[in-house]
This record gives sequence, structure tokens and C-alpha cells, in this order.
Amino acid sequence: MTPPAIETDGLTKQYGDSTALSELDLTVERGEVYGFLGPNGAGKSTTINLLLNYIKPTAGTARVLGHDPWNDVVACHQRVGICPDRFDTYDDLSARRHLELVIDTKRADDTPRSLLERVGLVDAIDKPAGEFSQGMEQRLALAMSLVGDPDLLVLDEPFTGLDPHGASLVRAVVDAESERGATVFFSSHVLGQVELVCDRVGILHRGRLVAEGSLAELRDRCGLSADATIEAVFMELTGDSVRMGEVSE
Amino acid sequence: MALPRWFPIARNEAYALLTAKGPWLLALLLVGWAYRPEYLAWDELGRNMTVAFVQSAGSVLLPLGVLLLSYRSIVEERDSGSLKFLLGLPVTRTDILVGKVLGRSAGLAVPFTVAAVVLGLLGAVRFGLFSPLLFLGVTLVTLLYVLTLVSVATAVSAVTTSTVRATALVFGGFYLLLTVFWQTIASGPVYGALTGSAADPYAAPADGLLFVLLRLTPERAYGVVTNWLLGVGNSGAGYSVVLTKLQPESNVNAFVVDAAFGQTTAPASLHEALGLVVLVAWCVVPLALARYRFERGDLA
Repeated sequence: MTPPAIETDGLTKQYGDSTALSELDLTVERGEVYGFLGPNGAGKSTTINLLLNYIKPTAGTARVLGHDPWNDVVACHQRVGICPDRFDTYDDLSARRHLELVIDTKRADDTPRSLLERVGLVDAIDKPAGEFSQGMEQRLALAMSLVGDPDLLVLDEPFTGLDPHGASLVRAVVDAESERGATVFFSSHVLGQVELVCDRVGILHRGRLVAEGSLAELRDRCGLSADATIEAVFMELTGDSVRMGEVSE
Repeated sequence: MALPRWFPIARNEAYALLTAKGPWLLALLLVGWAYRPEYLAWDELGRNMTVAFVQSAGSVLLPLGVLLLSYRSIVEERDSGSLKFLLGLPVTRTDILVGKVLGRSAGLAVPFTVAAVVLGLLGAVRFGLFSPLLFLGVTLVTLLYVLTLVSVATAVSAVTTSTVRATALVFGGFYLLLTVFWQTIASGPVYGALTGSAADPYAAPADGLLFVLLRLTPERAYGVVTNWLLGVGNSGAGYSVVLTKLQPESNVNAFVVDAAFGQTTAPASLHEALGLVVLVAWCVVPLALARYRFERGDLA
């Protein structure tokens, strides 16, 4: 049986006395488009940083495509495409060189041109990334995540810094990758976009997963009407009147 | 066979350096800095004086330049967030360190080799053809020194969390204490603490401990090995100083084994070839320690 795309068990990260993530149990099935939501500081980035081996856990275990993300990083990242949050590109290197770095390390057979075509950046293929706008950098990072047709795409805040064209491009890429059979796991606080692309969402609040399910399921759980926006659900779950998670403590 | 995983990282590092101005400016400065014909060296070394220029090019200015062009390599990427791309690749963190060190070294080795060849051409035209084998030997040892410096700077860069701290460690610690002032520090406070009295550089005692201390740093070890190849004397100081010290009735503040031990045989621990061991140790040990922390730490 194919292991889930992401599976965490009691995943915890503490910095000194403060807990950034508390005993997260999360399962993302293969082929899902999973939106990971939560207010700033809720622990979304911490979770992604842990799953990508940017940081090490205090406790708990995780599997990414069946691999240990901290000890089996080569096998794991070989099949994962990553679009990080708060990154910076290499100012002196062209878009082409950025992509060649990923293509050659992954030993993939994509071409920089075809990848840049997918994100609408092919005109800037030989421009140094230092001259890129934030939106262009975001598109470049997205193109880098697509190298080698990954089984799992991890997109951390992919809508940041994008205009409506850029946002719709990200949605199109996510749809195409999902169509291909890839699992997409992304974090966002741009709720309107999440609603448009996700099969299932998980809502993280103060380092804990407070709710998980399809948007319809979450509406029901919050007692909201069927036309309630995801924003209403989000506010309900993460506002002062939180009904789940914290109440059950 | 597939290329190693670190290779594309190394390639980008080398490319970034070779297309930047810094390393080529350094190469130009090295030529101007190292080309210093003098009568004593001509008398002692003849046409091989030109090869000694390469040692000058490898001392003082080269370490400063190499450290300047290497110490930010990881800490800066950590600050800016570009390290997230490298960490996201199918490579281990050790691969990242290896790619950084080898790529940077290659990117600095090329401009240095060009500088050495230019010095060689200038010297050959002016003073006649020198021993090509000796030239090759001194150049190769200098390239090992470049690798060692890049390795030390990268090690510091990998374990510090701010550029300011990396600057302090690399320049305040490594460059000033272990490169520029090591002769004074080793023979004064360090030797003094171990034996009760500091060593006088004008009349050095015939003590193996003193000379071992002096040649424990990369810069002095590099001096020892290149002086050995050049045949100027057993010392970590620059060839010109060593030649002067070994003249009759000379009065120079330098530590030279042959001057201190005179007719008596120096201990085996002062054999010049051990300088290579010191260089290799500096190349491997700091990086291995840094690797241990870099593999385990939080990097975002």
C-alpha cells in the first residue's frame, strides 16, 4: 500500500519555553489538495519547516512519502517540490541557472524553458534574479518546485506578493499538478484563494490543529450556513469564541 | 555514472565567483604585491626567485582576500532565505557544505593560478627560466592553502547565526590572531605561559616546542612547506626574512630553525613535511566540527 503523502504523529517543536507546534497529528492522503490555514504565528511555517528538514523536531515523528524527513532527506526531497516562504533568490544568477541547479541536483530531464513557460516567466530566462520583482521571484520559486514532476508539492504561502493574474496562475498550476496525480500541500492566509483550490483544509491555531475537513464539513461543525465563506469559518475557529481544540483541553 | 549531488551546488558557487569582480581584483593585487625582485633572493635562489614570488602571493594578502570572499557563504544565505532552496534539494546538509567548499575553492583557485602564471611570465622574461617543477609544487601547495582557508571560513559561516559574529570570528580570531600576529602570540604569551619566559625573536632558544607552536597555524605551515620546497631554510616566515636571518651577523626578528639550532640537529617534529599535515588538519577538522552542528541544527 502506498503510504500517505504526509503523516505526522505527535509532532512538536519548542523553542525554549515557548511551544511553536504542539503534538500535531496530520495525515495528507495521496492526490489531495490540502490547504493548511491559520493566523500568523499559528505554527504553519513551523510544520512546513519540520517536514522539509529546515528545522528538527523536539518530539514526535513524521513521514513524507513514506520517508523519514530528517534522516532520509535525499530520498524524500527527490520526490518533493518545494516553494518556500520568505526566501530570497540568488541576485547574480539567471532564472535559467536557478532551474538548472534544481534540475541537475534532482537528475531530472526538464528544461528551464519549459518550466518557465508554465509560470509565464520565459521572457526573463536569462535575466539575473536580482532584477526580479517579488511576483517574478515567486513565479521562479514555483517553477523550481515543479522540477522532476514531484509526487508532493509543498507550497508555503504561494500567493504572497502575487497580483490576481499571478494568483490565478498558481491555482492553474495546482490544478494541473493535482490532475497529474501529485499531492499538493500548501499553507496560506489568503483565504479566498484556498477556497478555490482545496479539497480539504486543516486549521491551525496557537500551535494546535483545531479543525480539519472539507469546507462543507467545517461549515457544519461551526453551525454556519452553507453559503458561509471560508473566512467566516476561519474566524469562528480561530477567534475568541473557539469551540474546538482549546475548549476540549 | 551520475555526478555527485553536491556538484551542481559547487558549480554555481564557482560560477558566481568567476563572474564577479572580487576574485579577479584580488588576482591583480596579488601580482603587484608579490613581484619584488631583490638582491639577496637573486643571490640565493637565482632564477627560482620568481617561484618565491608565488609564496609572497600566497601570504598575508591572499588569506585576507580568500576569507573575505568566503566567510559569508552560508550565514548570508541563512539570513536572506536563499538557503531554503539548497536545503530543499535532494542533498544532505553535508553535501551543501562540500559543494560550498569545493565550488568556492575552485572559483578562487582559477584567479590565483592566473596570478601565479602572470608572475611566472614576468619573472621568466626578466630573470630567465626557473624550475617549472618547483613552480608547480609551490603553486599546488598554495592551492591547498586556498582550500584550507575556504574550508575554515565556510565552517565558521555554517555555525554562526549572524554575519557580524562570523566577521568577528573570521577576521578578529582567525585572521588577526592566527595569521597576522601569530608569531608574536605564539612566541610571547603562549610560549611564556608554557615555559615561564617568552622567546626572544632575535635570539630564539633551540627549543622544539617553540617552533612547533609557531607552525601550528595554516599561514605558518604554508610558509614552512613552501620554504622547504624553495630550499631557503626551515621556518614559517616569509622566504625573504628567512634568507636575511640566515646571513652571517644578521639581526632580524624571525624564528628560523637553522639559526636557532645551529650545528645541532633539530627534532623530527620540526620536519618541514609536517606542515602539509597541519594544512590538511585545518582543512578537515574545523569543517568536520561545523558539519556536526550544521547537520543537527535548526536552519530556518
